[in-house]
Amino acid sequence: MTRDRRAWPRVALNATAGLAALVFCYPLVQMLLNAFKSNDEIVSNPGGLPRVWTLASFADLADPHRWLLRNLANAVLVAAGSTAFAVVLCAAAAFAFAKLRFRGSGLVFALLLATMMVPPEVVYPGQFILFSRLGLIDTLAVQVLPTITPVLGLFLMRQYMLSIPDELIDAARIDGAGLFTMFWRVIVPVSSPVLGAYAILHFLSTWNAYLWPTMVATRDAVKPIMVALPQLVDPTIGFLPIYGTIMAGCVAATIPLLLVFLRYRDKFMASVTVGAVK
Amino acid sequence: MRLRRRARALQPWLFVAPFLLAFAGLFLGPAGYAFWLSFTRYRGFGVARWVGLDNYRFVLGYDAFWEMLGNTLFYWVAHAVPMMALALLLAVLVQRQAIGWTRSFKTLVFLPQMLASVATALLFQNIFGTHYGLVDRVLGFDTPWLTDPALSRWTVVFVLIWRGTGYWFIVFLAGLTTIPPEVDEAAAIDGATGWQRLVRITLPLLRPTMLFAVLVDAIVTLRLFNEPNVLLGKAGTLAPASAAPLLNLVVEQMHSGQFGAAAATGWLLFVLIAALTFAMFRVMRERAAA
Repeated sequence: MTRDRRAWPRVALNATAGLAALVFCYPLVQMLLNAFKSNDEIVSNPGGLPRVWTLASFADLADPHRWLLRNLANAVLVAAGSTAFAVVLCAAAAFAFAKLRFRGSGLVFALLLATMMVPPEVVYPGQFILFSRLGLIDTLAVQVLPTITPVLGLFLMRQYMLSIPDELIDAARIDGAGLFTMFWRVIVPVSSPVLGAYAILHFLSTWNAYLWPTMVATRDAVKPIMVALPQLVDPTIGFLPIYGTIMAGCVAATIPLLLVFLRYRDKFMASVTVGAVK
Repeated sequence: MRLRRRARALQPWLFVAPFLLAFAGLFLGPAGYAFWLSFTRYRGFGVARWVGLDNYRFVLGYDAFWEMLGNTLFYWVAHAVPMMALALLLAVLVQRQAIGWTRSFKTLVFLPQMLASVATALLFQNIFGTHYGLVDRVLGFDTPWLTDPALSRWTVVFVLIWRGTGYWFIVFLAGLTTIPPEVDEAAAIDGATGWQRLVRITLPLLRPTMLFAVLVDAIVTLRLFNEPNVLLGKAGTLAPASAAPLLNLVVEQMHSGQFGAAAATGWLLFVLIAALTFAMFRVMRERAAA
């Protein structure tokens, strides 16, 4: 009966929320629609359904003169490579900090945490000179290397591993397992939720990277897609962004992530905010 | 026997060493080098000349530094207040089950997070284009959303809110679920209205989470770069000075080979972030105690 009395405001609220959510998500819809319009049509018809559906922008994306597929592949390689390195390095160190006793571990860990206050951008002048001395400017490696030792990842993994009962480790020890077996057979499987969560977080942040890559990836062959897209301009006019190709690029860079997200959405939402909630 | 024990004592270091060595070489070393650079004049080649605090004096006396810092603070305040309020409102609505389709609603609000910030900025560049963009088309105006110095900063704020709300919405929702429902129910039985329960119970209990959110968001916003530059810069260049965030100064100085000054600007940014981080740790301790 309370339900009946409250039904109307409830319906109104839900309808408003639904409408708001649609308006809110319309930019994403427009991105998709504009990827199927010609560059000319985007100017005359920026927000509606395409009058003429065309794959020209996707063809342009695949045009070998534009390097865009290469840029997309670069972004995948950099983000995946960085994530793989970061997860392995952090997991191994987190295991030692959480479960093994050794001299200086508390101090070293505290110092590592303190460095989280130094934002990466502060170190860019130093890193830029270091990597240019090493001849690594304009490579994929220079985009991967600065991101492979995230203290946040180490911290989150250690926190999780602290909650693994010592009995599990003692049992493995009694079975004669060495530390490596223990790490690989016990710690890694048990910590897989936090490893996966951090991997998602790390992948998204390297996928988003823009500032550092604009400085160190200036050749088309090594640029990631996020650096290449804003620079796409009309070849004849010069300064006019070609939104068709740009939107096709955004679609290509977003849809795979979006599909994975929609499939595992609860896990994703929990992961991405894990750093903020805990 | 003793050797074996010593070997065993070294074993933990085998797990820590790869991380520590990489960290020392890739972060700590360059950080120390950047600190030293901030006291020198160095063009990226030749000899670095020790100049003491000159770089810091130069940056602090440079109008552009204060203008960009001002822009950054504007971006923070202008987007944080409405964004946090909106995220909180949505979280409370979902928590109270006022919206029937919770799971889809959460997904929709969070969706923009899956779009890279660069892609988001490009998308809104298309939407807010003068005359030809969707907004001007629908409104029938010729509003220079992206080129007017005063207006363009608000366009950036709009984009920050659009992309950021879903993130904090999920954080607040997680914070709300930690509040025991009995408290709320007891108040409801005692006849408290929905509004009273929100103001007297939910918000005070959520206060530490909100403070934490505001501080984390402030730290992130001090490092803002992608949105204003991609949205307002032409073809991958930097945003005009009137809308430039603080990091643009570091980038400009590096581009013009003033590595010492760039490092000094960076360390000044660090001072701001360190202050906010200390504030955050105090909030976290308060939250852990609560």
